[in-house]
Amino acid sequence: MKLQKMKKRRWGDLGWAYLMIAPTILGLLVLNIYPVISTIYLSFTKTGDFGASSFTGIGNYTKMFKDPEVLQATWNTFRYTIGVVPVGVLLALFFAVLLNANIKGKTLFRTIYFLPVVSTPVAVAMVWRWLYNTEFGLLNYLLSLFGAGPVGWLTTSRYAMFSLIVVGIWSTLGYNMVLLLAGLQEIPKTFYEAADIDGASPIRKFFFITLPLVSPTLFFVLVLTFISSLQMFDFIYMMVDRGNVAMGSVQTLVFLFYKYAFQIYDRGYASAIVVFLLAIILAITALQMHLQKKWVHYD
Amino acid sequence: MKSSKNKRTNRNTLLVYLILVLGSLLMLFPFLWTITTSLKSITESMRIPPTLLPEAMRFANYTEAMIRVDFGTLYYNTAVMVGARTLAAIMFSTMAAYAFARIDFPLKNFFFAMVLIQMMVPGQIFLIPQFLLMARLDWLDTVKALVAPGIVSAFGTFLMRQFFLSLPKDLEEAARIDGCNQWQTYWHVMMPLARSGMVALGIFTALFAWKDLMWPLIVNTSADKMTLSTGLANLKGTFTTNYPVLMAGSLIAMWPMILLFILFQRQFIEGIASTGSKN
Amino acid sequence: MKAKKLVALFLALTLTLGITACGNSSTTPSGGSQTNGSGGGKGTTITYAIWDKNQEPGMRAIADAFEAQNPGIKVKVEVTGWDEYWTKLEAGATGGVLPDAFWMHINNFRKYADAAMLEPITEGVDMSKFPEGLVDLYTVDGTSYAVPKDFDTIGLWYNKTMFDEKGIPYPDESWDWDKAIEVAKQLTDPSAGVFGLMAGHSAENQQGFYNLIFQNGGHVISEDKKSSGYDLPETIEAVQVWHDLIHEHKVSPPYETLVESSASNLFTSGRVAMVMLGSWMVTELKNNEYSAANADVAVLPQMKQRATVYNGLGNAVSAKSPNKEAALKFVQFTGTEEANLLQAEHVSAIPAYEGTQQPWIDSITTFNVGKYVDMLEYAYIYPTSKTRPRWDVAENDYMRQILSGQLGVEEGCKALASEMNAILADE
Repeated sequence: MKLQKMKKRRWGDLGWAYLMIAPTILGLLVLNIYPVISTIYLSFTKTGDFGASSFTGIGNYTKMFKDPEVLQATWNTFRYTIGVVPVGVLLALFFAVLLNANIKGKTLFRTIYFLPVVSTPVAVAMVWRWLYNTEFGLLNYLLSLFGAGPVGWLTTSRYAMFSLIVVGIWSTLGYNMVLLLAGLQEIPKTFYEAADIDGASPIRKFFFITLPLVSPTLFFVLVLTFISSLQMFDFIYMMVDRGNVAMGSVQTLVFLFYKYAFQIYDRGYASAIVVFLLAIILAITALQMHLQKKWVHYD
Repeated sequence: MKSSKNKRTNRNTLLVYLILVLGSLLMLFPFLWTITTSLKSITESMRIPPTLLPEAMRFANYTEAMIRVDFGTLYYNTAVMVGARTLAAIMFSTMAAYAFARIDFPLKNFFFAMVLIQMMVPGQIFLIPQFLLMARLDWLDTVKALVAPGIVSAFGTFLMRQFFLSLPKDLEEAARIDGCNQWQTYWHVMMPLARSGMVALGIFTALFAWKDLMWPLIVNTSADKMTLSTGLANLKGTFTTNYPVLMAGSLIAMWPMILLFILFQRQFIEGIASTGSKN
Repeated sequence: MKAKKLVALFLALTLTLGITACGNSSTTPSGGSQTNGSGGGKGTTITYAIWDKNQEPGMRAIADAFEAQNPGIKVKVEVTGWDEYWTKLEAGATGGVLPDAFWMHINNFRKYADAAMLEPITEGVDMSKFPEGLVDLYTVDGTSYAVPKDFDTIGLWYNKTMFDEKGIPYPDESWDWDKAIEVAKQLTDPSAGVFGLMAGHSAENQQGFYNLIFQNGGHVISEDKKSSGYDLPETIEAVQVWHDLIHEHKVSPPYETLVESSASNLFTSGRVAMVMLGSWMVTELKNNEYSAANADVAVLPQMKQRATVYNGLGNAVSAKSPNKEAALKFVQFTGTEEANLLQAEHVSAIPAYEGTQQPWIDSITTFNVGKYVDMLEYAYIYPTSKTRPRWDVAENDYMRQILSGQLGVEEGCKALASEMNAILADE
C-alpha cells in the first residue's frame, strides 16, 4: 500500500519535473539547439546562395586547418583571452577586496566601477574610438604632454590588441567586481577575528582566509570571463574598420565567422570555424572543471 | 605601541582611498570625455591639441540628436524588450532550475547538457535561424520579435540551479511530508526562498538584453520598432564625422539605465550578491 | 529623498512619452508581408528598404507623391546602415521575406538576380531615358531587374582658402597627376599637420585607386569577367601612384590616419587640402559649416586619359513579395521623371533620368557640383562580377597590405590577381 503510494508519487514527480523544464527546454530546442545542429551540419557542406548546399565531408575542416587566417584568428582569440582573463579577474578581485573593507563612500565607488557595465556597447565603442584616435584623441594628447607619441592605438598591429584588451577589461571590471564582492561578503567575520587574535598580517589573511573562501565565486567568474572572452566580437566589429592594417592581428574566430557568413557568404566554411571555436570552449571549460578540484574550496 | 598601530592603520586607509580614487578616475574618464565632447562644436572637437572643456556649451547637439532619433519610442521599445525578456526568463528559468536541482528524472543530464551548450556557443550562429523562425511566424519588424529569443535563459537556469543547490533541504522535506507535490513545494516553499536569486537573475537578464545589438539590428528595421542600441548604431551610420552629436546621442540613450542603477544600486548589488553560495 | 522622487517622476514622464510616440506610429500597419496579398488593392502597405539616412527625406518625398497618386497603397521607408542592410537582406532572402521594394547595389546584384530573388522589370519604365551603362548594370540576359535610381561619380575637392593663402590657382581640367602632386607638395606642411592630397585606405576603392586604374588604361576585371586586371602593368602603375602619395611624396596623411579618420573628417577640419570624394558626399559637405565656406569641387586630374568611376543604385522588387503588384507599381514610379525631379530637389543623389541632372545641379548653389555630371562623359562603370563579394574581401586584404607599405606594390598586385583569378574560375 505504502509502496504503491510512493510509486505513484514518484511518477507524479517525474511529470512535474518534465512540466517544469518544458518551457525552457522547448525554447532552447527551437531557438538554440536546432541552430547548433544545423550549423554542425552546414560545416560539412559547401553552401551556395541563400541556403542551398551540397555535402562535402570534412573539406571545410581540412581547408580550415591549413588556412593561415584561421590559425592567426585562433591565436588572436587566445591572446585576447590571455590578456583579459587574468588581469581583468585579478583587478576585479583587488578592488573587491578593497571595497570589502570598512571604508566610507563604498557605495559611491561601487557605483562608479559598475558604470561601464550599464552603458551600451555602441556608446562605449564610440567613445573609446574617439579617445584612441591618433590625431584628435585625448590619449595621444596626454602622451604628447610628456613628449611621447603619437601612438596608433587602434591602427597598428602592435597596439590594437592591447587597446581592445583595455576596453574589454574596463567594460567588465565592475561586473566581476560585484560578483566577487558578493562572495567576499559571505565570509564569516569570525574567521578574520580569530586571525587578528593570532596577529596575522593582512597579506596572510588574504591568502589563508579570503582566497580559499572566495574561490567558488572566483571559479564562477573565471569560467564566465573565459567563455565571453573567447567569444569576443562586438568591440572589433565596432572599433576596427575594414581598411585597418591591424585587422589581421586582432580578428578573432567569431569575427572570422561573421566575415565568412555575412560578407563572403560562405556559410559552410563559416560554420566549420564556429564549430572549431565551440570545441575549444568545451575543452577549456572541461579543463577548468577538472582543475577546480585542486584549488576551489566548497564546504 | 597602540598609537603606532593606529598610525599604520590610518596610513593604510589613506592608501586604499588613493587607489580607489585613482581607479575611479580611470573608470570615469571616458564618461567625462563623452560629456565634454557632446558640448563642443564639430570644429572644436577636432582641434589639435584638444580642448579639455568646451569653449561654449553647445546644447544644440542634444537637440540635433533628438531630432534625428525618436528617443521616446526607443526608450519604450527597449523597456518592453528588457522587461518582457526579464520576466519570462525569471519565470521559466527558476522553474526549470528547481527541477534540475531537486528532482531526479531520466535524461536529466542530457537536458542539462543542452543548457550548458547554449552558454558556450557564440550568439552569432543563432542569428539566421532565429531570423527565419521570426519570418515564419510573421513576426519580423515587431516588438514581439525583439523579445522572443530572450524568453528562455540558459544562463538563468544555470544560475538558479546553483542557487537552489545551496538552499538547505529541510524546509522542502517538511513540505513533502505534509503531502505537497513537487509543484506545490516549489510554488509555496522554494520559490519564495529564491526571491533574492530571482532579483539577481532579473538584473543579469536585463543587462544582457540591454546590451543586445545584432539581433534588434537585423530583425527590426522600422524606426519605430528599434531599440536604443540600434537607434544609436544608426545615428553612428548617419554622422560619420559629427562626434559631438554622436556623444550627445549616447548620453541620451544611456542615462535612464545609469539613473536606474544609481537609484537602485543597493538592491542591484545585493541581488547579485545573493546568488553566491549562501547558506 | 526628494531628488529621488523627482527623478522617478521624470523617468515616468519619459516612459509615457514613449508610449504616446508608439501609439501614434502604430496607426500605420507594420511590415509588408502581413497585408493582403491581392496587391494594388485597398490598404496595401509596401516596405521600401534603403541604407542611406541622408537620402531618407528624398525617398520619403517620392513615396508621398506615389501615395497621392495611388490611394490604397502606403509606402514605408525603412533605413538600415550599410553593413546591417546586407546582413538583413541575406537573412530575408534565405527565408523568403525580403522587403517588397529595396535598393540594390551592384556588388550584390548578381547574387540576388541569379537566385531569382528579384522580379523582372519588363514594362512601365522607359529604360532609354537612363544612361546605358546603368541600365546594363542591372540587366541579365536582356532582362532588367532594377530601375536605375541615381548615379555617382568621383570629384576632386579642394580647400579654397588653403589655395588662396599660397596663391595657387584652383584645380581645373588641365590638371594631370604630376601637377596635382606638385601642388600637393606646396600645400603640405608637416609641422602644422597639414597634407596636400589625401589618398584613401584599402576599402575606399571607388573613391580611390579604381579611378587611377582606369585613367592609366588598366582595369580591375576583364570584360568577359574571367580574369583579374591586377597583373596588368597599367593597373600596377596606377596603384603605385596612389601608394606613392603616402609613402614617396608624403603628401597624404599616413595610412593609419586614413583608416581612422574619414576623408570628410580630415577635409572638413582643414587638415588636408585636396581629397577625392563621391557625389553622395555633397549633402554632408553642404551641411558642414566649414566645408560650405571653404570648399569646392573640380574634375579629377588625369593620367593617360580622363576617367572616373561611376556607379548607380537600382530600385528592385522582391520576386517573393506578396504585394508584388503594388511594389512594382512603386518601383516603376521611381523610374519616372517626376520621381527623379523629387530626388534632385532633395539633393539625395544625382538622379539617373535624362535631363533631371540640371535641376540637381541647380539645387546646390554652394558648390560647383556640375563637375560631377560633366565627368559622366568619360566615366567607367564600377567593376563587378557575380563573385564580387568574395574577391572584394581578397582585394581589400591585399590592398591593405600594399597601401600600408607591408607588401610591395607589384608583388601584392600579382598575388591579388592570382587569388582573384582563382575565385573567378569558380564563377
